[in-house]
Amino acid sequence: MPPFNLFQRLSQAPTKPKAAPAARQFDVADLYQGPIGLGDEGETAARPFDEKLRQAYFWIVNHAIISPHYDIEYNDGPSQTYSVGDSRRTLNLPSAQSYSSFILLPLLTFATRRKCLFVGGPGRGKTASALLMGVLAGSSVKEVKRAMQHGHPQMTVADLLGNPLPFDMVNAQSMDDIRIAWRAWLGMRVKIVDEYNRIPTRTQSALLTVMGDNYAEVLNHIYECPEAAWYLTANDDQGGGTYQVIEALRDRVDVTVQALAFNPRFLNELLLRVEENLRPEELVPPEIIFSEAEVDQIGEAIRQVAVPDAVRRRLEFFASQFELFETAGGQFEYMTKDTARLSGADRGAAQAADNGRDRLKDLGCQTLNGISVRTLMALLIYAKAMAYFRGNGEVELEDLRQVLPFVLHNKLQPDPDAPFFALPENAAYRSDRLGWLRCLFDLSNDEFNRLDLDRDDPVGLLSAEFDQGLDGLSERETLARLNRIEKLIGERTRGRKLYGPLYDDLLKLKYLHQRYTNYRSWLRTQ
Amino acid sequence: MISSVFASLLASGRAQFNLRALDARRRFPALDMNQFSAFLHDGLDPLVVAVAAAAPERAGSFTLAAYDMALELVAHGLAGPAAKNPFLNTVWRELAPLFAPLLASAPVPVLGMLSNAAIHVSGVAGARPAQWHELMAAIAPQVANVAELRAVGQILAWRAGIAHFRLGAIAAADSLPPALALAAFGEPCADWPQLRAQLQENPWRGNAQGREFGAFTGLGGDFATPPQVRGTHDGFIVLSGERQYLLVADACGAVLHGATPEEYAQASMQLPAPVRLDGATLHIGSGSIELDLPPGDIALAANGHTLAITSPYTHAIRLLPLV
Repeated sequence: MPPFNLFQRLSQAPTKPKAAPAARQFDVADLYQGPIGLGDEGETAARPFDEKLRQAYFWIVNHAIISPHYDIEYNDGPSQTYSVGDSRRTLNLPSAQSYSSFILLPLLTFATRRKCLFVGGPGRGKTASALLMGVLAGSSVKEVKRAMQHGHPQMTVADLLGNPLPFDMVNAQSMDDIRIAWRAWLGMRVKIVDEYNRIPTRTQSALLTVMGDNYAEVLNHIYECPEAAWYLTANDDQGGGTYQVIEALRDRVDVTVQALAFNPRFLNELLLRVEENLRPEELVPPEIIFSEAEVDQIGEAIRQVAVPDAVRRRLEFFASQFELFETAGGQFEYMTKDTARLSGADRGAAQAADNGRDRLKDLGCQTLNGISVRTLMALLIYAKAMAYFRGNGEVELEDLRQVLPFVLHNKLQPDPDAPFFALPENAAYRSDRLGWLRCLFDLSNDEFNRLDLDRDDPVGLLSAEFDQGLDGLSERETLARLNRIEKLIGERTRGRKLYGPLYDDLLKLKYLHQRYTNYRSWLRTQ
Repeated sequence: MISSVFASLLASGRAQFNLRALDARRRFPALDMNQFSAFLHDGLDPLVVAVAAAAPERAGSFTLAAYDMALELVAHGLAGPAAKNPFLNTVWRELAPLFAPLLASAPVPVLGMLSNAAIHVSGVAGARPAQWHELMAAIAPQVANVAELRAVGQILAWRAGIAHFRLGAIAAADSLPPALALAAFGEPCADWPQLRAQLQENPWRGNAQGREFGAFTGLGGDFATPPQVRGTHDGFIVLSGERQYLLVADACGAVLHGATPEEYAQASMQLPAPVRLDGATLHIGSGSIELDLPPGDIALAANGHTLAITSPYTHAIRLLPLV
């Protein structure tokens, strides 16, 4: 490494200092660590991959993308807060290492090979960030730029996927004889689609197949794409644009990241880049380039990050708030917002027929829809990725709290007519989707604490009992469990309003009841 | 005025040197070219003269490498007349020329190691950079290659007060010829295996008196309140105010590192059987020491080889060998 490496200098490990172990190992080689590279630093000692990921993050925020925002806030003890302005907005000075969502979420997307949508006005660095991710995967800048798909109204399926060879088209006796010249970008591990909301609807369907099922199909020929991280950009996230983005395609996006406004106090850095003609994507240090095998291993390691039961329970409670729509269905299982949506019935009329629940307290009243399985899985993956990035072996509640707004950004739709938004102190949440989602999670946690569900969760106990298995369970014990379930249902349904968590608990109890009933029937045949 | 040999080298590579300087000015807007010029004169010129005398054919390549390093160091405020610590200037001017043959053959590793080591040694509170400089200068004629220089520098850094390098220094000495290792440890007439075993077993070898460490922060020390100490394998965990530290001390010095509340909680408060306090009289085995501290409230802590004595009436920690 040459002595000068301003843009290639990596943050020194450890990038996230943690409490040292009891037995300290002092390395006398540290005597020669310093500002002068000794020429043998090319053989960097094997770093854990989470450390490499953090070094990549810090290189990007320090040298590549000017994003001096710390909107993903972590605190280690009390933090300093200030009330600012007439609206008394809170300025928080976090007391622990905090991050910029515009850099971190795309990086976690890269590590987990998921799909990230950049939204924001023109010229705010959306494409530049996506380009960097492609370079981190080991592609050259030229390769990434040429492979980038640019949405436009005349984009055809052939433009996106590839063409049949004309010679084969003329001479083929069957479809099998036709060879397809597949587009090179289909084989890349980082795929970038710029302005995806300008792609015509028919071509969006082809894109959906690639994004959703990881293969491309032209004239019955299939191209299996490798697992890849996806980056899409759009000027807004409302699904509009030149063409309406089909809902299924929007739903494939795992996380939405907003390009935050440039702070003019950092204009001097822009000036330096203009004067020096610097392009950070061309100066990515080789030490933070990830090979395909490394990303595979990172993905495996992320999946191994544990989600403690206490954190999982709070996520369960949160997710259970939103699907219930009591007046939408006659049968218990069909009392959901999805039922109402599918029927096309007048939502307002259905809500008016609602039975007097506290519409301010009921978090479900704030949303138009519930949370899908796909979204929950994305939430778990990103929470694990966040914990992994921070060097932890298990997910903390704060990890979940921080990634949740970005994952649910496009997925959980607010009901603007909800009483919650009518309150003056909540007016900002009509436009601040991220703030609203975080507030929603906080309110859910407050309710969870109020109900003392960490310690008082009879449904959880029955579930845990069932999870131990049915092997060797006697008919007598099975009957006892059935009775306990029925008794609990009786207690929980006595004179109570039906809210989302209760609804899901009752469905769970019904499930357990059914499983035990089936088992008892089977026992009787033995 | 710089030497003629340096002037000649600069003149012959003028365009290249100017380009490098210009590049550095762009990268480091705060780079003061007057400071850099002064460092070229005071720091690099003696080196160029020494290398040119040792290996004239290598003077050009050495100058180029050293010039780049000088730009980097001055830009970071580590070298030059306005350097935060003048020790690096001294090392370039007085110590590095003594390694001219090595500089000629491997300018980047040798000058880089010496520079980084100088920064490190002068940055460790309690270390003695002047002693390191003196010891390195004395042993320079015996160092034959870069690997020996690396190991010798580490051993002498320990002897100059970087206590936590003790075990690493002993390990580094294993790579040296025995005579050089003995010279590095300052015992040219000893038997290396025997000396090694003694150094390994007894961190206080050569210093039976122990040492005193620490002072009030108001007087430039480390401790805001009288410290409390507990023993640990590496040294002692110290609690002062709301902060915890790891104190590593031995015959050559004492160095403070950061520690955590968990480490303090896990550290030991046990004393070895031979240690007993009787008022202000400390008994270690059959020996006794009168402590100049008010009796009562004197606290003792120990690890495998050291006894630490503290009192609410002092911000200092008295360290006594137990072996």
